[in-house]
Order: sequence, then structure tokens, then C-alpha cells
Amino acid sequence: MKRNWTVTQELLLGAILLAIIVFLSLTTNFSTRSGIYSFMLDVSPTVVAAIAVGMVIFTGNIDISVGTISGFVAYTAGALVKAGAPMIIWVPAAITVGTLLAGINGFITIKFRVPSLVATLAMNMVHIGAYATVLPQSGWIENLGPRFTWFGRGRIFNLIPYNFVVMIVVAIVAMFVMKYTRFGRALYAVGGNRQSAIYSGINPDVTVMKVFFVEGFLMGISALLRAMTLNEVMPSVFVGRELFFISAAVVGGISIFGGSGRIIGAVMGAALVYLLSIAMIYYGVQDYYQFALQGIIILGAVFITVTDFGKIRRRLGRESEQRAS
Amino acid sequence: MVREAVTMERNAVLTIEAVDKHFPGVQALIDVSMDLRQGEVHAVCGENGAGKSTLMKIISGVYPPDRGSMTLNGEPYTVVNPHDAHSKGIAIIYQESSLFPDLTVLENMFMGHEIMRSILPFESPFKIIDHHAMREKAENVFQRLGMRIDLDAVVSTLGVAAKQMVEIAKALTFDSQILILDEPTAALTSNEVETLFATIRRLRSEGRSMLYISHRLDEVFQIADRVTVLRDGRCINTAQVKDVNRDKLVSWMVGRTLSNLYPKEILEIGDVILEVRGVCQGDLLKNISFKLRRSEILGIAGLAGAGRTELAQAICGLTDPDQAELIINGHKFRVTDYRRTLERGIAYISEDRQAYGLVLPMTLNVNITHKVLKKITNAIGIIDPSQEQKITQTFADKLSIKPSDGDFIVNNLSGGNQQKVSVAKSLAVEPQILILDEPTRGVDVGAKSEIHRIICNLAKEGKSIILISSDLPEILGMCDRVLVMKSGEIVGELSREELSQERVLSMAL
Repeated sequence: MKRNWTVTQELLLGAILLAIIVFLSLTTNFSTRSGIYSFMLDVSPTVVAAIAVGMVIFTGNIDISVGTISGFVAYTAGALVKAGAPMIIWVPAAITVGTLLAGINGFITIKFRVPSLVATLAMNMVHIGAYATVLPQSGWIENLGPRFTWFGRGRIFNLIPYNFVVMIVVAIVAMFVMKYTRFGRALYAVGGNRQSAIYSGINPDVTVMKVFFVEGFLMGISALLRAMTLNEVMPSVFVGRELFFISAAVVGGISIFGGSGRIIGAVMGAALVYLLSIAMIYYGVQDYYQFALQGIIILGAVFITVTDFGKIRRRLGRESEQRAS
Repeated sequence: MVREAVTMERNAVLTIEAVDKHFPGVQALIDVSMDLRQGEVHAVCGENGAGKSTLMKIISGVYPPDRGSMTLNGEPYTVVNPHDAHSKGIAIIYQESSLFPDLTVLENMFMGHEIMRSILPFESPFKIIDHHAMREKAENVFQRLGMRIDLDAVVSTLGVAAKQMVEIAKALTFDSQILILDEPTAALTSNEVETLFATIRRLRSEGRSMLYISHRLDEVFQIADRVTVLRDGRCINTAQVKDVNRDKLVSWMVGRTLSNLYPKEILEIGDVILEVRGVCQGDLLKNISFKLRRSEILGIAGLAGAGRTELAQAICGLTDPDQAELIINGHKFRVTDYRRTLERGIAYISEDRQAYGLVLPMTLNVNITHKVLKKITNAIGIIDPSQEQKITQTFADKLSIKPSDGDFIVNNLSGGNQQKVSVAKSLAVEPQILILDEPTRGVDVGAKSEIHRIICNLAKEGKSIILISSDLPEILGMCDRVLVMKSGEIVGELSREELSQERVLSMAL
């Protein structure tokens, strides 16, 4: 029954998205070639990040440091480009940095039994500190040139950014993994009922470790997609982005308690959160209001999943029981 | 005789030999041996705590046995976890659901053992989940069970009976030859029980073997071929169901002789102090009414799941019953929440000290004065430490809690002393009526008799006590009157003179 409901939930999200797009098209220059191009360009890294953190949330964990991990990824790429390394080196190296940093989070979570919320919150602070102390010039690198930006600024038919294509590929692969691999099933199992997962022969620790690595890998891609659109890298611009990513996943119907949700939800949630923020920019809403509004939207989304949907689900359940008997 | 022994030898699919299991403070299984034959339903009976569930958990690999051996189809059988047991053809269907609530029926059935196929048109190491094959197999299983179910329904939307069917179906996807059903009817209505029995018979006719754990004797006679009785962790007897009757099983289950360990004094029972009228709560509690008198110790006996704790919690307002009316000292009182019930002088002491009773990492002071903070705070809500100390000392002395130091952390106390702190906390409110839910579970013998002495003293002071206990000798030794509960109803009332273990058990079963 809930499967049907989830579809409705996603239809609802889709309808909201459509409404905003129509509204923006009618009242602003959103639907022009450049408006669409910049939307596709900017939404891509957010979607990939929402998928990344969404997969961690499936297991009932969370990663608060996804924003700051991105900063290190971008710095690694920038520094290697500046040093003259070819793309075949700096892209894998940057993604590896993301994978390892997230791996550290996973390791702390499973090894020391620290709740991932605490572990990654602490790592988030460590990262911010490291920007200022370990990285030269706080990691600021400028004038990277077209060797760095050609991909991020590249587009097909003068319209579709390469970034957008990467995002679509990532989303399709993620959906495939969730549907067709044991790893995907195990994520739901660990988040839904840890004890039963163990009884089903799934090792929760191994699963959590793996999902953090996957998340780091995807955050590497996400960070590169964003960084490569600019001529410079500045790790501190990624500070605070985690709220954006996590809210995208949660708004997309991924239960913060773990065990349920879908990749398509994360994709749509990211699009919604992003569209709302550009709508606010179009209408000249101040930054602070934007933050507040974003917060209210998250609350609303969580409120709906925790209360109303729960009630409706239970009612549907009771009806289907009666039908069965 | 000889022929039967030979048949038995040939047919035994699972043999358990001399299994021991020890947990801290309790010898759960002692030298248990039994066998399960092909195509039989073998019931395992016993009182609460007789070791039934422990035995099943050993077979399914939740715990390793301390000693003893098992044989499966003639081969030595060792098992490391329930998944391992599954893959060896033994499936356990737990009392509490082990399904994933947010996943669909189909996803649940194959969790951890999904059917995989090569991603390429030929065999290759690159495997993906084969949804089509899983759906086909699942449909096949449900067809064999004679059940129709929406494979795409999310499990949390299903009722208890349907969930149980999904668990059984899941077991069949492993093609399990042996199924262990642990109290499968505990949460089912009688119609659903019939469906379940039909399923069990069907599986038996396919040659599968089942261990059927239950303390409902009627069911044993309906469904089982043989029955084994456990008592206090020992295997008492195994018999063909057709060769035994109810009384025989009850006598095997009771067995113990009652020693006169209890400090019970016969007191003069006063007037009615509490009248409970028509407590209803769904299927859990069905129109329960009773009276309690001053200085009376009223026992509530029954098996696990009979609704005893639910009754206590409903009376106190800890749960939300459909209907509950109390008359306290002649005044009508509608139960709303626990705080108000407590103000009227009814205190509940939970069996689960850790979850409901105590804040373990905090001190004696904090715990004992928890419910009476108003008494020890001044006008602006600041706690007066000397008052706090005084209350703690009063009750620590009264109940001889050791150590009685108010700054001692409760977590470091023994189980018996923790239980006393739990009682002290409720006594601090100075209630008229105390509801004690399994007050001596998990405490050692010494502490147990001390708690019994305390209960008797409270009755002597004129307090009325409702004692919920699964420990029959305790009920018999302590109570003036006993109510026996079964499936949410009071099925009998026994005065002290009428009390006997057999009587209570045969009502409760």
C-alpha cells in the first residue's frame, strides 16, 4: 500500500516542482536558454550530494561533514592542476580524497560505536580547522584556467552542461544499485531493523563502512562538479553546504530514521530545495530569510513524514487488514 | 519396543543431546535432550522461564550451547547465527516480528538471500538481483500456503497474522525442512489461528517438521503429534499427544513442591478501597472488573501475554485504554494519565526497572525523590538537599537498601537493591495502593525473600497491594486472593484456601 503512497508522495513533489517552474517561467526569465542552462549546471552537484548523503541516511546514519569534505576534494583538484598534473591524475586523486575522508567517518562510527551524528559533527569541525591551519592560504587557489574549467563549463548543443549528464548517470547508477544489488537491499535492512539484518546474514558494520566509502566517492564527484565551473577553488565556500544536501534528501522523503526512501526522492528533493533558493534570489529575498525559509521547509517535510503520512499509512494498513480477513 | 526405536532412529531429523546453557544468575537449560522426527509437529511446553525460548534460540544459532551436541539429518550440527541455521534448513519464526517494516513483502522474503542472475546474457561473476525470479518463487510459496497477499504491500501496513504468514513464507524460500514456531498464536484471533493451523498441517503433509512452542495446552492437543515438557530448564518428559491428557501435562509442568519460605501473615482485611470497573483495551483487555481491600495482597497470575501488565498499566493511565473506571475510597475516578492516578494514591512499580523504573546512572537521592520533587523544593523550585537526604534515608532504612548512601549511583547496586530503590521511589509518594509487576524477577534468593518481607510489612501498615507475578510459588505464598488472567480476561478467582499450583495453572492454560 505504501508503495502506491510513495508514488503519490513523489507525484506530489513533482507537481510542486512543476508549479514552481511554471511560476518562475511566467514571472521571470527562468525559461530562457541561459536560465535553463544555469539551473541544470547548478542543480547537478546538489543532486549528486543528496544521493550520497541519502544513501548514508538509508542505513540510519548521517554525515554532517559532507560539506567540508567537498572543500578538501576541490582543494586537491585545484592544487594538482596548479602543479601541472593531467586530468587523468587529478580527477581520481580528488575523488579518492573524498572517499578516504568519508571512510574515516565510517570507521569512527563502527569502530568506536560513536553515533555518526556526533562523529561527523566533530569531523566537520576538524575539517574547518584544517582549512585554516593545514592548507596554504586556507586552500585558496586562483587562476586555474581552462585546464580546470573546460569540463565544468562545457555543454552539449550549447545548452546541456556536461555536469548535468554526469549527474544523470550518477542518479541512474544509484537507482540501479538500490534495486539490483545486495548492497542496496542491505542499506534498507540495516536502517530498518539492525537485529533482523544480522539474522538475515547481513553484517551491519561492513555495510555502514561501505556506504560511507560510496558516499565519499559521490561527494568527490559532487565537489568536482561544483568546483570545475569556477576559475578558482576556496574550500570555505563548502562550509554549511551539508544542511542543503541533508535537507534535499529529507525533503525528498528519505526517512531520517533510516530504512526507507528512494533515490528519486533525493533527486527531486534536491531540485526542489534548489529551485526554491533560486526563486528567492529572483525575488530578491535576503540571504537570512532564505535560510529561515529553508529551515521551515525541512520542518514541514519531516512533520509530514513523521505525523500525517504515518497516520495515513496506519489507516491504510488497517483497511487492508480488514480486506484480507 | 525394538521396532519403535528403529523407526525413531530412522526418522529423527534433528536430535538434541544433553544441552546445557547458563546465563548470569540462572541455569536456563540443564541436560536437555530431545528429537524431532520427519513430518511431525512437536510441541514444547512449559511455564514462563522453563527454558523453551532458550532452547529454540540455541537450535537457531542465537546462542551457542555451553555443553551438549546436536545432530541434523545424521550429521553433527553446529550453527553460528540464525542466517546460518536458515541456510542449513532450519527457520525460526519469532514471537516478535523480525521483518523490515518499510520494505515490501517481496523484499522482506529474500532479504540476505536474494536470487541473483548474471548481468550478461551468459554466466559471469557480475550478478544482479533477479526480481522476476524472486516474484515467481514468492508467488509459488504463497500458492502452496493457500494464501493470497499483495507482494508489493509494505510490511508495516500488514496485520499481525499477515506478518506471521510472511515470516513463514520467508522460511519456505529457504526451503527449510524444519520450522520453529515460537508462540505463534500469541497475538492472533481465533480465525487467524485456524488459518495458521491449516498452514501447519499443509506443511506437515509436505514432510516438513515443526517445533511448536506454546503454553496454550488446547493448541497442543489440536495440532501436535508429540509433546515435550520443560520445567526449570530440564526436560521432564516427551510423549505422544494421544497418550496424555491435560492434567498429566499440567502435573509435569508444575512438579515442584511448595516450600514454606514466605513470611506471609494473615491480616485482618479491611474495606474495599479500590474498585476497578470494566477496563477494556482492544483485544488486550476485555471488560475487567475487580475489587481490592485494605491490607489485602491481591495476586494476578497468568502466563506471559495474558494481559497482566497491560491491565496494571491501563489502571494507572500509563497506556490509553478504551475504557477504564476506578472507584477509589468510594469516589469515582476517570483514568487519564499516570500523574493523576499517582496523586490519588496508586503507584505502579514496573517489571522493567531499566526502561521505566529507574534512572540508572543517577544517585539514590535523585531516584528516590524523583516523584516527590514538590515536597523537597522551595517556592521557586530549588531543591533542598537536606530534605532530599532525609527522604532518601527514611526509605533506604525502611527497605534496608545497601549501601544507603544517598550519593551512591544506582547502576552499581545489585539487582535486588535496585528493585528496592524502585519500590522506595514509589513509597515516597505515600500511596495507598501499590501495583508490583514481577517485583522479584531477576533478583537473587536472598533479596527475593527480603522483598517479600517488605511487601508483608506494607500490607501490615494498611497498604493494599496488587502483586503481578509469573512465579507461582510466590503467588501462592504471598497472596490473600488471586485473580487468574488468560487472553485479556479474568478467568478465575481463588481465595487463599482454594489456592494450589495446579488450579492456577489449569485456569491460566
